[in-house]
Amino acid sequence: MRFIGRRAAFALVLVVGVSAIVFFLVNAIGNPIAMLISGQPNATEDQIAALTAYYHLDQPAWQRYLAWLVRLAHFDLGSSITYNQPVWQMLYVWGWETLKIQIPAIIISILISIPLAMTAARRQNSRSDMSIMAGSLLGHAMPTFLMGIVLILVFAYWLGWVPSYGAYSLRAPAWHSVFLDGLWHMVLPVGMLTVFNTATFTLLLRASLIDVLRQDFVVAARASGLPERRILYGHALRNAFIPVLTYLGIAFGLMLATAPVTETVFTWPGLGFLYINAIQQLDYPVIMGETVVIAVMLVGATLLTDIAYVAIDPRIRIG
Amino acid sequence: MRRFHRQGMLRQGLRRLVRTPAGICGLVLVGIVVLAALGCHWLAPFDPADQSATMGIGANHAPAWSNPLGTDRLGYDVLSRVLYGAPTALAVGLGAMVVASLIGVAVGGIAGYAGGWTDELLMRLTEFFLVIPVFLVILAVVRLFSIVVVGTWLETVPHLSLMTIIVLLGVFGWPPIARLTRAEFLRLRHAEFVDAARCIGTRPSEIVVRHILPNAMPGIVVVIALGIGSAVLSEAMLSFLGFGDPNAVSWGQLLFFNYEQLKIAPWSSLAPGIAIFITVLGFNLLADGLSDAFNPRRRQ
Repeated sequence: MRFIGRRAAFALVLVVGVSAIVFFLVNAIGNPIAMLISGQPNATEDQIAALTAYYHLDQPAWQRYLAWLVRLAHFDLGSSITYNQPVWQMLYVWGWETLKIQIPAIIISILISIPLAMTAARRQNSRSDMSIMAGSLLGHAMPTFLMGIVLILVFAYWLGWVPSYGAYSLRAPAWHSVFLDGLWHMVLPVGMLTVFNTATFTLLLRASLIDVLRQDFVVAARASGLPERRILYGHALRNAFIPVLTYLGIAFGLMLATAPVTETVFTWPGLGFLYINAIQQLDYPVIMGETVVIAVMLVGATLLTDIAYVAIDPRIRIG
Repeated sequence: MRRFHRQGMLRQGLRRLVRTPAGICGLVLVGIVVLAALGCHWLAPFDPADQSATMGIGANHAPAWSNPLGTDRLGYDVLSRVLYGAPTALAVGLGAMVVASLIGVAVGGIAGYAGGWTDELLMRLTEFFLVIPVFLVILAVVRLFSIVVVGTWLETVPHLSLMTIIVLLGVFGWPPIARLTRAEFLRLRHAEFVDAARCIGTRPSEIVVRHILPNAMPGIVVVIALGIGSAVLSEAMLSFLGFGDPNAVSWGQLLFFNYEQLKIAPWSSLAPGIAIFITVLGFNLLADGLSDAFNPRRRQ
């Protein structure tokens, strides 16, 4: 428990650190109002003064940072300059679309990589092992956008099975069902993320399984006549899964951080798309809010990994 | 046998590298990229800024004899642009890793050698950089920095935006190097030959530079090889999103210009995509082969 407590305290420090970096970074370029308003010759002095007061830009930066932190603690991220909506509400709506493709991708890739890695690890250096390894190495090194381009060319343009962009049909939903229409649009982005994650998970799990299958307790289990299935999926897998678990947090972070790329490839209305727009239009509250929320999600994922660690491996609980 | 003994660890490793399948594949792929980078001037059929195809066979023309990979939306020859993208990619990868390894080796070395709370503090800092959404921060910094420099002397620096990207990728890319360096330093700090050096009164700085660092090098080289690939990929993603250097010829930039018309002219998006793939795969395989070659226990 002390372990978890220490990690949680460090997680809090991390989030505050990220928020400080982002805040002072964004504020380094000076008064955003002056910059945004320079293209609007009609703005009067009064309007500029009113906006400056509204965003507290007359105060020094550290004072605004503290005020922003206090509001953050009350779950208030301010409102977007360009959309004129509360940032929280926007992150909720767009974030749902992002998680909608990322969480299924992670689950599906774990489910695929377990049997793949098992096949490869059981018969090391066999032909099936070699082909699984080669495929995983290729999938791991392939840039996600190239995978996306290939998937779009083949399944959207050539075969015409699935749409290449967007999360919903612009006109009537397919099969008269918004749900099915959404699923239909999810196929390609989820497929792209799944290929990438499956490759990495398989590589990790195979290496770790090979290590575990050599250990004494596996030999002992075999000697005592346990069925092979139970040895592999019960004993070996549980022990070999720890590195994958560690990587899970990183994989989630990687997907969130590269969401702008994924979502540009598929014109997907998610957090990445929102972020790119916010950066291009210098929408400060959105940039700061989204970075902090993503940092919280990442730190949360790492913390969950730590907790799962403790659940799987009792040695950590004591040490 | 005697000759073998006199060779340094690095050279022995390289000899073993060409015997591993991953290593040889990696060397070939990286070799292709390096050759393209060195020879793009002679290999490319057109100048990278040559848009004359718009007057000839037209923009978005499918691969033909005069333009083996077709022409893109702006009438550039795709093959020439891809070849001229190679030096940019290598500059990004190597430049970023020079910055990253300077920081990473310093941080990891100090942490591993000093130990105690210095170690604790530096490793927490490293973890901080590993957890933050680096790509998002770099995106924001590139955009904001491009606004800050307007009107200052920095504006006159050639390829400023590409250099900013290189430095940023280095500044945010050092944590894996620091972690590995620390682990190697911890392992070697109390190795017998280091203790022996300490006994005869060698200065700590000399112990670090002459005894520990050379022995930590093989592992560091592996991480750097991996890092080159991921730096190239990051630059490609930044450029693909439109935050690259508009004055540089880069693969990500090509994708950015041409991705919107993937349906009409897939070759102009596929070619740079495959170039990035070859580079990243090459460096990944090279790293794989290197770690096999340097680590005798992993060989079978």
